[in-house]
Amino acid sequence: MTDFEPTIIAFVCNWCTYTAADLAGTSRLSYPQNVRLIRVMCTGMVDPQYVIKAFLEGADGVLVSGCHPGDCHYINGNFKARRRIKLLKEILPQFGFEPERLRLTWIGASDGIRFAEIMRELSAQIRSLGPGGAKLNMVI
Amino acid sequence: MKRKIGTALVAGAGISGIRAALDLAECGYGVTLIDRCPHIGGILSQLDYQFPTDRCGMCKMLPSIARDDSSQYCLRKGLFHENIEIRLSTEIISLEGEPGHFKVMLRGKPGLISHELCTGCGACTAVCPVEVPDEFNEGLSLRKAVYLPVPHAIPNTYVIDTDACTRCGACEEACPTAAIRLSQGERRQFHILVVDDELIVRDSLKEWLEDEGFSVDMAESGPEALEQLANCAYHLMLADIKMTGMDGVELLKKAKEALPDLCVVMMTAYATVETAVEAMKIGALDYLIKPFDPNALISMVLRIYQDFETGQGHLSDFGAVVLCGGAAYFNPAESKNPFGYGVLPNVITSLEFERILSGTGPCQGKLVRPSDGKAIRKAAWIQCVGSRDLQTDADFCSDVCCMYAIKECLLAREKAEGEIETTIFYMDMRTFGKSFQRYRDQAENEQGVRFERGRIHSVIQDKEDNEGNLILHYSDRGGALHDESYDMVILAVGQLPAAGMAELAEMLKIPLNPWGFAQSEPFSLTQTGREGILLGGSFSGLKDIGESVTQASAAALSASRVIHAAGGSQEIESDTSEYRDVSRDYPKILVLVCTCGNRLSASDPQEIVRELEKDPAVFHVEFLGQTCTAEGWDRLAGLAEKYKPNRILIAACLSYIYARKLRELARQIGLNPALTEAVSYHQSASNPRGSGNLLSLLRMGIARLRHADPSPVLSVPVCQEALVVGGGIAGMTAALAVADHGFQVYLIEQAEVLGGNLRWLQKTIEGYEIKTLLDDTRMKVEKHPRIQVHIRTRVIASYGQVGSFFTTVQDEEGLTHTLEHGVTVLATGGTEAAATSYGYGTSSLVVTQKELEQKLAEKSLDPKKLAAVVMIQCVGSREEPRNYCSRVCCASALKHALYLKSQNPDMAIYVLYRDMMSYGFAETYFTQARKAGVIFIQYEVKEKPRVKISDQSVYVTVFDPILGSELEIESDLLVLATGIVPALPEYIVTTFGASVDRDGFFQEAESKWRPVDSLKEGVFGCGIAHSPRSAAESVISAEAAAQRALRILSYKQLPGGKFTAKVRHSLCSLCERCIAACPYGARVIDTDSEKIQVNPVMCQGCGSCAAVCPNSASFLEGYSIRQMLEVVDAAFA
Repeated sequence: MTDFEPTIIAFVCNWCTYTAADLAGTSRLSYPQNVRLIRVMCTGMVDPQYVIKAFLEGADGVLVSGCHPGDCHYINGNFKARRRIKLLKEILPQFGFEPERLRLTWIGASDGIRFAEIMRELSAQIRSLGPGGAKLNMVI
Repeated sequence: MKRKIGTALVAGAGISGIRAALDLAECGYGVTLIDRCPHIGGILSQLDYQFPTDRCGMCKMLPSIARDDSSQYCLRKGLFHENIEIRLSTEIISLEGEPGHFKVMLRGKPGLISHELCTGCGACTAVCPVEVPDEFNEGLSLRKAVYLPVPHAIPNTYVIDTDACTRCGACEEACPTAAIRLSQGERRQFHILVVDDELIVRDSLKEWLEDEGFSVDMAESGPEALEQLANCAYHLMLADIKMTGMDGVELLKKAKEALPDLCVVMMTAYATVETAVEAMKIGALDYLIKPFDPNALISMVLRIYQDFETGQGHLSDFGAVVLCGGAAYFNPAESKNPFGYGVLPNVITSLEFERILSGTGPCQGKLVRPSDGKAIRKAAWIQCVGSRDLQTDADFCSDVCCMYAIKECLLAREKAEGEIETTIFYMDMRTFGKSFQRYRDQAENEQGVRFERGRIHSVIQDKEDNEGNLILHYSDRGGALHDESYDMVILAVGQLPAAGMAELAEMLKIPLNPWGFAQSEPFSLTQTGREGILLGGSFSGLKDIGESVTQASAAALSASRVIHAAGGSQEIESDTSEYRDVSRDYPKILVLVCTCGNRLSASDPQEIVRELEKDPAVFHVEFLGQTCTAEGWDRLAGLAEKYKPNRILIAACLSYIYARKLRELARQIGLNPALTEAVSYHQSASNPRGSGNLLSLLRMGIARLRHADPSPVLSVPVCQEALVVGGGIAGMTAALAVADHGFQVYLIEQAEVLGGNLRWLQKTIEGYEIKTLLDDTRMKVEKHPRIQVHIRTRVIASYGQVGSFFTTVQDEEGLTHTLEHGVTVLATGGTEAAATSYGYGTSSLVVTQKELEQKLAEKSLDPKKLAAVVMIQCVGSREEPRNYCSRVCCASALKHALYLKSQNPDMAIYVLYRDMMSYGFAETYFTQARKAGVIFIQYEVKEKPRVKISDQSVYVTVFDPILGSELEIESDLLVLATGIVPALPEYIVTTFGASVDRDGFFQEAESKWRPVDSLKEGVFGCGIAHSPRSAAESVISAEAAAQRALRILSYKQLPGGKFTAKVRHSLCSLCERCIAACPYGARVIDTDSEKIQVNPVMCQGCGSCAAVCPNSASFLEGYSIRQMLEVVDAAFA
């Protein structure tokens, strides 16, 4: 279990979290390398099927991260994401995934430190959960 | 976008400079945006959070039309726009010429680090031995002498602080790309002659200057100096004024006769400063006062040396100049300093507190004291430090401090999760902006911020515990003395004119106000008095973001007017360059990977090439060294030319900097820029980049590019005419502004005459005649060939979208007709609110401020016959349901009080107020009124004055907090300030697709970043229909609205962005969920064709519609389901 390196897919919004990730990079903050960032324009465009696809493809955890409430470049996309992620967590067990594997956060553009912290935290959390169900239980 | 004729210079790249530059650039003018700092963003680069959201949102200022012309990422990171050239570390040296044809000399500070070569690796900082306070963190942390000025900004070129640098050369050796040249050797070529009759002065100067690397010679008298000047070429002479024999001034004259270009700096004792000033008039460059501070001397010599190095700068032509230099902040340590700033470590300024809150600040965003790391659990804000203080010559209000103090309290509470006591000590809480009062009430009632009215006497160290706590010594309103202990004291520092303001004003020949800020013309906040030179933002006094942005847009409008009048064309030629049609070709992707020096060594290039070339869409993969340098880029462009790919993918450490370059490259090879993409692998520098990671990154890029749609960007036709609803000052100003650019304007007014509230207003508080403004504006409007005025007419209904609205108007006789127009400006105005309390309507002795103004004008009220007058402020306002400040009432009360006092000095005038809102430079009238003997009595909303009316007198009873008892005032007249209510019928707003706020004012898209736009593109609001404001403030809001409208009118075909939503009609079931999801109202259902239509300009590309579509019929270009699912697949490479 200790050798397990989880794969985490992060859908990050172009305006805030992607900028924060970049700032974390230029500030030389360390965070786990097993996070793959997928830039989207807004968290409001993250279709539940992208998340489920990521899990089915073998992701051990999925993060959706955008601008703080009230801060969305597109007015209210992050609120739409919030609603959607809440519902998605409800149905994830039906696909055989623990809802804790999916996380929604708000990381502002200047929160490079917070970005790195959340990545470390999430990585540790997923590590304790163990590998996701897809690789073990399903034939793809 | 092709540029039209005409260019503008925007000096200052803070928020207002960015706004002005973007506004002009979006209209098609070429803009040069300069700043003396090495970064853009001004003060906002240091501020992470802004109220009312307590977050950021600066990116909302980016263009919403023709989006592809500008950067589409966080604006705090950086900005590019096709029409804006940004020049940093650059200043204006001189300006000559006429409006429309200015010749401006700009000079850039020479950088010791080459922008082309620096890759931002940071190796230099690691080896630099010097540490100095970091100005980005307001001195709360240390930085090296070679540093990144703003950690989040790009391009992230390092700079060298030449004052702090010891020239040890460590960074030069460490730099892997040889970007640093300290040019120590070149300083030897700079010859300095020191002339002084005292040996000790000569010797010490020689030693200091030689330490800096200069060549120094000495002379002990005037004649000897002249001899040396004749023999050797000197660049600089330092001459003492008081010398025996030939004195310094005579030496200066003689030296200048022989060598007119010689730089001379005079050295003088304090007593002969005047002589030195005289010397400057005959050619000396500057003077130094003895005994000198070596640092001041060295920095002056270095400045002269840098000027010498850069030569005379570049001369450029500009049609107009917009000054957006911002403001500086008061330093409490340089004054009487009763709060111990700089002495007590835990007394800080508000700006320093912002840095503590910031994630990039000295405490990494944790709420702790920088001095000892102790958590802040009890903090006090002291307002008006360096504002509203005659002892520091600050007879003004700094406008923004009250609101940011509340914001900081709320942020502190959030960070501390409520475990903090926050107190604001204030004189008046000036919550005069839209929504400010509710923000304050919420802070007080819901968040528990304590507001304490009072002046702090002093702050001292808490002796009882040694933890660095502070004792605030103050008296409350009742006069009782208190001592309270706090962890931290935050001083809300006021404004000062921007550094170098006086010199700049003198050079540009623009006037300054008594406090040294730029002075604007009557009724205009942007005109300097010199045509073609405009004021934006805080240059004329501190402003909050919303007002800065409004003023910047208004300044852009005035600049555009000048350029247009001087022959600048107003029509944007659409982009005619033809791209290769690749829509039927298989994807042929050229993949280029920057190896970033050799930092990418962890990955095996051959393996990546092998893996990627398995994909048939990948045509060629190449690894290149340092594509961020000019040389590297040329190699890259060569490959693109050679292989003629139909898609290009670049992987580099910072994808942001490639956005602009890629567009240029794509055009060069005839490729649609939408078919290029840059991906960034700079996501963690601490871990070695595994090849798997890079491979998946490249595959994700390929997955998106493979399905990129090469079809051209969609656009909508624009009817280049404007509709302005309302013929008051705002409406007339907006109409004139648009019409002056050659576009037809329909001005709709329901009354019989134009003028609105200006028809009853007499004078401003400054004494300017309103009638002049009204007559002048009305005459211009009525005579304008491009303005069609419709009086006694009202709007019935409208439909349409940006570029094409159809509005039906009806005149008094009931005749209707329909106007077609591309944009709408709502300027329907407002009126004085009706008074219902304090006995209004029961006696002629109770009047409103408006009635008083009218009575005084028509002389039906004789001030000489009044013995006492009481004015009550905030009648029905600043409490629910009208819980907002109307801004103008305090000023009109002061205006009337001062007038009445001038007519009858014996009259007793009592102003009963809650908070005097004499913001900005109007504060001086508050001071004047108090000096004139007007009595101000503060009352609380819970304890309102009571009024009893008899035949002759009005008796007002009020609790006086200073006396601690009730007063009964007998007066001859009671004047009520009831505030402003909007006259904006909701049906008019909704018919155009906009909305009203809870108080009935125009609802702006974003109160800070888009203050005059509505969320629906093409509809703008201004004047008092937007929010309460004075005549001059109405004018700037109208000019701002006009400028925003002109962005659209400038196009015949208005382009949207590449990434817009589209609909596959064959899959669409017309469920209309996408219509509900679109925040911009960009989607409508066309009932004739039974199709969902997307307006490509209004769509901003958020993709919300795609996520709600149950059939995947709606999709966002560039982020279609196919692309996204492939990207997810590729992520697992």
